[in-house]
Parts: sequence; C-alpha cells; structure tokens
Amino acid sequence: MLTSVPVFAQEKTGLKPGFQLKPGTARIVLLRPSIKVGAQSTGGMFEPNADWTAQARENIAAALGLAQTSLGNIVGDYVEPGNADPAMLAEYQELFDAVAQSVIEYQFFPGNRLPTKKRDGQFEWSLGADVARLPGLAGADYALFVTTEDHFGSTGRKVLQVFAALARVPVTAGVHKGFAGLVDVRTGELVWLNADLQMGGDVRDAEGAQKRVRQLLEGFPGKPADAPVTAVSAAH
Amino acid sequence: MRWRIAAALTIGMASTPAMAANKVAPLPPYVAAYQPTNVDERGAWMMADEDERHLRDAADVIRDPALNAYVRGVLCRTVGEDRCKSVRLYILRVPAFNATMTANGTMTIWSGALLRLRNEAELGAVLGHEFGHFELRHTLSSFRNRRSGSDLMAWASILVANSGAMQISTIGGFYAFDRAQETSADMIGVRYLATSRYPSAAAADVWDRIMGEADATAIGRHRKANQKYVAGFFATHPTNLARATYLRAAAQEIGDGGSAAADAYRAALAPWLPTFLADQVKLNDFGGSEFVLAQLAADGWTTPLLFARAELYRERGNPRDLVSAAGFYQDAIARGDAPPEAYRGLGLSLLRSQQIEPGKVALRDYLRRKPDAGDAALISTLVDS
Amino acid sequence: MSFRRLGLSVAIAAALISVPAIAGNKLIPAGTRIAVAKSTLTVQPASEWNKLGARPGRNAETWTLDGDALNDLTFYGGIDAGKPLFREADRKNRPLPTVSATMLITDIPALLESSYRIALGTAAMSIGTVEPVTFAGGKGVRFTYAFTRQGETLHRRGEGRGAMIGGRLYLITYEAPALYYFDRSVAAARQVADSARL
Repeated sequence: MLTSVPVFAQEKTGLKPGFQLKPGTARIVLLRPSIKVGAQSTGGMFEPNADWTAQARENIAAALGLAQTSLGNIVGDYVEPGNADPAMLAEYQELFDAVAQSVIEYQFFPGNRLPTKKRDGQFEWSLGADVARLPGLAGADYALFVTTEDHFGSTGRKVLQVFAALARVPVTAGVHKGFAGLVDVRTGELVWLNADLQMGGDVRDAEGAQKRVRQLLEGFPGKPADAPVTAVSAAH
Repeated sequence: MRWRIAAALTIGMASTPAMAANKVAPLPPYVAAYQPTNVDERGAWMMADEDERHLRDAADVIRDPALNAYVRGVLCRTVGEDRCKSVRLYILRVPAFNATMTANGTMTIWSGALLRLRNEAELGAVLGHEFGHFELRHTLSSFRNRRSGSDLMAWASILVANSGAMQISTIGGFYAFDRAQETSADMIGVRYLATSRYPSAAAADVWDRIMGEADATAIGRHRKANQKYVAGFFATHPTNLARATYLRAAAQEIGDGGSAAADAYRAALAPWLPTFLADQVKLNDFGGSEFVLAQLAADGWTTPLLFARAELYRERGNPRDLVSAAGFYQDAIARGDAPPEAYRGLGLSLLRSQQIEPGKVALRDYLRRKPDAGDAALISTLVDS
Repeated sequence: MSFRRLGLSVAIAAALISVPAIAGNKLIPAGTRIAVAKSTLTVQPASEWNKLGARPGRNAETWTLDGDALNDLTFYGGIDAGKPLFREADRKNRPLPTVSATMLITDIPALLESSYRIALGTAAMSIGTVEPVTFAGGKGVRFTYAFTRQGETLHRRGEGRGAMIGGRLYLITYEAPALYYFDRSVAAARQVADSARL
C-alpha cells in the first residue's frame, strides 16, 4: 500500500491552557496500553509479530514503570473489575482513539486545522464527564491512555522507497506512531495529549522502549524537570 | 460402506478415480489444542486473538442464544463432537454470503449466508468447509502467500498509473485463502458431510445458487451476466462453476443419502427471517434480491417472502413496480398473518400510484393496527391531507 | 456522513498512515445567513462552525465542531432525481439508491438508511422516530437514526430533516458518537436546521 504523505509540520503536544498538575496531588490510572508491533512488507501490509509485540509490551510496561516515578504522581495500573461491562470500556477506548485522531487531523496539522481550533493556546477536547462511570476508575483523578503502533519496514520496502523516489511517488518505510493522553476523570476533559505519527525508539528492546516512553510522555504536565529528551528528532 | 467411499473420494480428487479404488484413507485423526510454533504463526494467532476480543464487543454480532445453539448444533453434527469443541462460533449480522475461519479457531458465519441456505445439510457444507481450513491449518500459509501477492502489487502500482482498484482488491482479500486451499477445504468439507447424517450433494447445490444470484445481480444492474467460468490470474477462489462441478461429481461418487433437514432449518430461522430479508432488500440489489426470494419461495410464497418482495418493488419505485408492490402486499394481507407494515406499504404504494383514496384507507388500517408506530404522526399527516 | 472513511476496510485503514490532505477548512461565523451545498438552501447559524474543504458529494457540504468523526452536520442541497445522496465509492459493485422525483417524505429516511447500509457495509443502521415537520418552507420529515460501522463498538446517533421540493431532495443530517458528542452539540445543529430556507 502506497501512501501519499504531504510534507507537513506536525505539532506534537497539546495542553489545556492553564492546566497544572502539581506533583504529589493526583492519582492517575494507566489504562491497558494498546501496543501493536509488526513488520511492513514491500507492499506496505502490516504483518503482526507476536514476539515483538510481547517484547514491546514487557519493555514498555517496564519503561512506564520507570517513568512513573518521574511523573511526580502516583500512577496505578487499571484493574478491570470482574463485573465490568467489557463493551463499555471498549467503546470508551474507541472514543478516545477517535478524539486523538481528530486532534492530530484537525489541530496538530496547521494546514488542516479547523478555524475554531486556531485560536492561540486553545485546546478543548473531551470524552465527556460520564467517563467517570467506567468501573475501576472510582477514586482516580486522571486516566492515562497510551497507544503505540509500529510497522518496521522490510528491506524490500526500503528498496522500493528508492525506486519510488525516482518515480516521485512518496512511500514511507515503516509506521511508528503513538499517542498518550491524560483525561480528567471528573470532567472527561482531555487535559493533555502527545501524539506523533513518526516516533523514535525501537520498542523491541528495553533501551528503545525507554526512549519511546520518554517521547510519549514528553511534555507530561506536572513532571519534575528530568533529563532532557535528546533523541526526539534523531529518528526522523 | 459410505465411509470407505468418502475416503476414496478425496484421493480421487487429488489424482484419478482409478487410483482411488485401491486406497482407503479415513478423515485425519483430529489433533485438538494445537499451539502456534514459529514467529509467523504466533503473529497470526495474536492478531486473531485481538480480532476476537474486538468481535466479542462488536455491535453486529447476533447473540440470540437459540439461533447460536442451533447453528452450533449443525456444525457439531457435521464435523463431529470432538472437532466442534475447538471452535468459537459467531453469527454476524452482515447481509452477504460469507463465512470465515481464523488460525485460533474463531469461526464466523454471516446472516446473508443463513438467509440463502435452505437446509441443515447446506449449512453443514459451508461450516464444514470453513472448519476444513482450520483443520488443515490454512490460515498460516495463506499469510505467507499474501505477503508475496501484496509485494507484487506495490511494485505494480509504481509502474501502473491507475492502480488504486488493484490495491483495494488485494487488501480486500486479506483473509482470503488461495485457490488450492479452497479446493482442499471443499473436499474435506464433502468428507465431513459424507460421514455425517447429511447428504453430501448439498455442497454443490449451494454453489449452483451462488452462480445464479451473481448473474441475476448483474442483469438487474443492466450488465452482462459475467460469471467468469475460468479463474483469472489473480483469482484466489476456484470459479463457482468449477466448484459446483467437482462437488457434484464427488457427491455422485459417494452416492450417500440422508435427510437435509429443511423443515428444521426453516423453523430455526423463522424468528430471524423478516430481519434478514429486510437487510437484503435494503442493499439496492434488485436482481440479486429477486433471485434470493424466488429461491426461498421454491415451495411457495409465504407471508414474510411476499412482504419482502413487496418492499423490494416499492423501494425501486418505478410506476410498474408500485403496481406490483401493491399486489404483493395484498397477497400477503390475504394470507391473514401479515405484519401491520404490509398495510403501510400498500398505502404508500397506492399513494405514489396516485390512487389516493384506497391508499388512505390502507394507511388508516396501518395506524389502527399499530397506533404506537414510530412514524404514526407522519403517516397521520398523509391520511389527513 | 464522513465519506472519506467509507469503503476503507479495517485492513486498509491500518495500512494507511492517516495524514490529511490539504483541505481548506473555513470558518462559518455566527449570525450570518449563508448559502450551503452549492445550492439556494440557506441557513443562519447562531454559533460558529467549521466547514470542511472535503465534500461528501457535488451538492453537499459538511460542517463540524471537532472533526467529522465527532460531530458531523451535513447539508444536501437539492439532489436531483436519478442521483445518489453522496459520492459512490464503488458504483459498479455497490451502487447507491437514487433520488426519485415521486418520492414521498416517508421515503427520505429509507433512502438514507439504505445508502448508509451500503456505504458503511453494516446492517447495524436503523431509523428511530419519524415525524412530520416544516422544513425549508416545505412539508418535510424529521427522523432519528442510529448506526455503528462494521466491526466497531462505538455507537453513533443521528437526526435528519428533509423535504422533496420541486422534485429535488433537500436534507440536513447531524450525527455524532452516542457517548457525549451527540448531546453536546445537538442543540446547535437543530438551530441550524431550523433556520433552513429556500
């Protein structure tokens, strides 16, 4: 599958104006991260790789565990109560995905931004206050959503890229997208979203996963000053 | 005896009937609880697991316990109890003829298939075919084939200007099996039927009607009836004609009997028939829908079939269609068990045919029979104006 | 109807990298009467909207507040007899039903239902209540609907108003996820539909 990718400058982080999260003041629940890793064949088709995904799941969980201590607040894993309605959680995850995709499409790409979303510093996105009714979120202040999807380009794909460049057909090698969002459980507001369609960090190894998580959590509100993220643009 | 012939048959299909006479191979012993081994295989299973997780919550799964138990029962009677245990079966409300099987044992059958099948034997033929893919572990090797097929398309799309449609069709076949796999699943499917209580001739009957419907759809859309009787270079499935032919030959060789259980099938489907018919009628496929209805009416036009046919004609809405529609509604009403909506349809057809007063009479009948209908207020304005 | 998402299978959507094309979205200011869908149909919104550069069809346009997957207000401005409601993704194999000059107002929700079922590949599309209403000065219909896309869990709700005027179909639909988004802007969408004039 070929994809025409116009060269756009994409913004990566949105924060609700005036939102502050003081360290040590909030309980954050991390929802089960959505992690998908596979290879991209010459045809651009996604080939899931269970071993890579299992590695990534483990590495990202470990990296998130490490990062949590530097987020300045208590971050606990989401525990789905036994009597929970799985369809309701699935529907909220799809709503979050739709919202995140909309933020990327209609706010982070300035050329495609909706005029009402253009005003300075504006960031108004929400899942609705009913998100608090999700079982398992009682007592939480914020819900943290994390999604990563990686398609590693095969050698054939990279060769194709060269030919495609000659033919002036833009072909991307690999997909490395991810987004992390923080939702205020009481209001349903998306107070912070960090999203990038071309992320760095090979999630299949521990070090790469740490880099990915650093990028995902870049700009996380209330984060005490930590080591600067140096490798952000290196992967592009 | 039946067992031997069935076994001989498979080999016969693989080589020649003459060879088959000497060798007798029963169904392969079934290995339950197979676990994936290599990287490709585990990847396919993981994706199937994720898909199934998704399916569990999807809106288009039909959860009616009675219908699920019935369809599962037919699967078990076809492939046997031990094989049937390894399958999770989902009935999807999608008005197209299809059934699917994934590497991890997730089987789906679509409502469009349930509508078109006529008896338990035909349902068993379709489910057995899908189970054949699972037993022969086709999903994995098809994943490898797909990879190379897709590679070819990416190269072609740089060289060929108008390649959009080609890409779509490749992806459209994402879960498709290749031609040889389809044929072997067909043949193991016939063997399940031969060893079951159902007659193995049912499999060929299904494909005969699929061909007829495809032709009817094309003619209804003012195109040539373009059944390809030779599989093209890119075709993943054997042509339907080839399928019907070799399945018919196989059944004749087996020569088994047994009841196809048409009455039981009709009774089990009855609660869902009006819904499935309505889904079909709303597809804007006049020719195909007429064909399906005529097939279902082979033993006579029942009330739900008459009503669906009337809706189909009213939806197309040419002046002559409206006259036909009114006639079918009246036929349905004359049978005494028509739904209130038959009066609604009759009234609207007559109104559109400029038969204002008879139309209003029918609409008043509708409102009397269903005073709390969702569109009662609107229909009232048509009656009063 | 967010038509750009139509006809794409899940597999394709996953294979594509979702980067939008340059669209040219425009601000619709509050309080000004404005012609929509390249037609003589006009509306006067009481609050701001965004008009998407991409159109569902020749005589149609879409407004949104947060993106067409989250709230979608679409205007169909006089669809001629013989034309489908919106652009067909696959005319040969999945043709959409077309407008007929003799359509009754009861046929308008049925046309939308059938078009969505075919375009979205779902049977999970249903019409709720159907009521008479004056729309754009004509005898019209107001109806509610609900659908989910094939294989999805997210329920979407919609509301439409339409009328056949001079043998052409005029229709305004509003749809959004049932969770939060539908209720949030349904009042603003209704106000726009109420203001419709020919």
